[in-house]
Amino acid sequence: MKEALYEKDLTAMKFTILESRRHDRMVREIAADLGIPHLLLRRYLMENLDMLLLENLPARYEQGKKFQEGLPEVERALSSHLYTRAVPLINERVMDAIVAATKERVAAGIPLSEAVSAGKAMVRQVILR
Amino acid sequence: MKRTVDVSIPVGPVHPCWKEPARVKCETRGEYVVSAEVELGYMKKGIERIMKGRPWQEVMFLAERVCGICSVIHNMVFIEALEHISGIEVPRRAALLRVIVNELDRMQSHILANFSYCYTIEHETLAMYLLDVREKVMDQLERITGARVTCAYIVPGGVRFDLRPEDAQALRLSLSAIEQEVTRYTDMFSGGPLIALRSKGIGILTKEAAREAYAVGPTARASGLGDIDRRLRHPTYQSLGFSPVVRTEGDNYARIMVRFQEIVQSIGLIRKCLDELPAGPIRGGGIPGAGEIAYSGEAPRGELTYFVKTDSAGRVLEISIQTPSIMNIEACCHYMLKGVSSMADVTSTFVSSDPCIACTER
Amino acid sequence: MTFLQKIKNFVRSRSIHVAYVDVGSCNGCDIEVLACLSPRYDIEQYGIFVHNNPREADILLVIGAYTPGWEEKLRGLWEKIPPPKAAIAIGNCPISGCLFARPHTLVDPPVAKHIPIAAQVPGCPPRPTEILSAILSVAPTVFADYEVNGK
Repeated sequence: MKEALYEKDLTAMKFTILESRRHDRMVREIAADLGIPHLLLRRYLMENLDMLLLENLPARYEQGKKFQEGLPEVERALSSHLYTRAVPLINERVMDAIVAATKERVAAGIPLSEAVSAGKAMVRQVILR
Repeated sequence: MKRTVDVSIPVGPVHPCWKEPARVKCETRGEYVVSAEVELGYMKKGIERIMKGRPWQEVMFLAERVCGICSVIHNMVFIEALEHISGIEVPRRAALLRVIVNELDRMQSHILANFSYCYTIEHETLAMYLLDVREKVMDQLERITGARVTCAYIVPGGVRFDLRPEDAQALRLSLSAIEQEVTRYTDMFSGGPLIALRSKGIGILTKEAAREAYAVGPTARASGLGDIDRRLRHPTYQSLGFSPVVRTEGDNYARIMVRFQEIVQSIGLIRKCLDELPAGPIRGGGIPGAGEIAYSGEAPRGELTYFVKTDSAGRVLEISIQTPSIMNIEACCHYMLKGVSSMADVTSTFVSSDPCIACTER
Repeated sequence: MTFLQKIKNFVRSRSIHVAYVDVGSCNGCDIEVLACLSPRYDIEQYGIFVHNNPREADILLVIGAYTPGWEEKLRGLWEKIPPPKAAIAIGNCPISGCLFARPHTLVDPPVAKHIPIAAQVPGCPPRPTEILSAILSVAPTVFADYEVNGK
């Protein structure tokens, strides 16, 4: 593999950012919500987001949580806004598909909590892939 | 796959226009910027790690060194957080003196930000004029607090030095000179056709994007978000009848104009403080105790939040600082820079959001 | 000393190009360096030109306490400056680390470990006049008779 001339490995510095108290708390909260180990989530964040976005994550997370209070039930339960726009974990189109699938399940008579946990399993699959 | 990106242009870390090192990687199509990514790590000092476990007397000075440009507000927010934890009362005279010093600090910070912008769009005359006015503000700051930068003026229960009558006199005189000059430069900025070409309609941050990235301070107020000003929730500012400056354009021009208008507003606030300044003590006393709080104040760049946890001896057990620049630079790089049409506008747009990398990385 | 050398010395002492680099400070020293540009201190009347481009600089002002991001990069920046050159440490941070040199810190002061420092201006932050006088007193001494005894 060719190495870029001026690019540096930023993993150590990204880890220092995520180590801070508020970042750590946020990562643990998201990990508990999605049911994945927080170390894996942290590695996923470090691989996919740039440093400035990492610094800003707690503020965006809090703002996103406030925003999703006004969303419909399924979207709120899946935190669709939170995980796509506020903390960009997954692609918006993928999330829309998951939300649509969950809504179909609810319409088919499956209880909301069950449908949502199935939706979260899909989110988890996307992240762990 | 269709190739949409021509070339990735890195700007920085050392750039003639920027005061501090940061690296913006712009993915461009022609000169049109498609997306931007920021690489930090040049200023990470680990200040929160140093603060942990130290007594407040030491953390107070460390808090000031989070940012050298807006050092007064860092001092003020940290001390007021301690005061809220331990229920320490501040005499009215000290509260007003805090506002005076804080507004002077805000003025010099805004003037510096506007200087940087004018320097970046290569309007050097206006830039030098502004830097000259800034020295007048710094003189007053030095006269009251004894230092130009990092003055450690605010202590729990009050302030360090009193404002002597002759200082107040000099402050009033200086304020009218500053007001005259700043008004003149505001007209120069708003009336300049070439400045308008470089500023109007460039680097637009919409209201929705500002909300999403949680932009704060003048950057958000230029996009029409007025209610985010933390001064509206500060008791001393409430008693002074403060109301924020709001513009709706959301471009570079609006951000600079908001700062110009806030300088004039700060002059008004200081005058009001000087009029209302009662005689009395400047230090009420009090010892910081145990507790936990998230306390916010309005820094020149926006909302600054300290999450502090102390023990009964006043040692800081846990601390986390959320500085305004984090949100503003993020809003700048991920929203404003998208769609900027040339590389020259990348630097000017970046500077217009008043980036402070020392704050961002701590 | 030849007559030509005398002319060179005189010219060099009146045309000093300055670049500054922030390797992890609180920003306080940066703005004091910027304040030197202001009409009050008027750095250009002494023949000093702040350009912030290392490739045409003579003097490098180093500000800050050397953070990990600058490993390799500061050295590279120093090597880009054409000789004769000198580095001046502004503020306490590059000298000792100031209050950042504590347990659990990320910085690695002093900067003198990484590049040769010709002069130090202590202060947190130093006044613009002190920075100015440091540049003015260091530059002619370092650059004098470069062709004769330098290299």
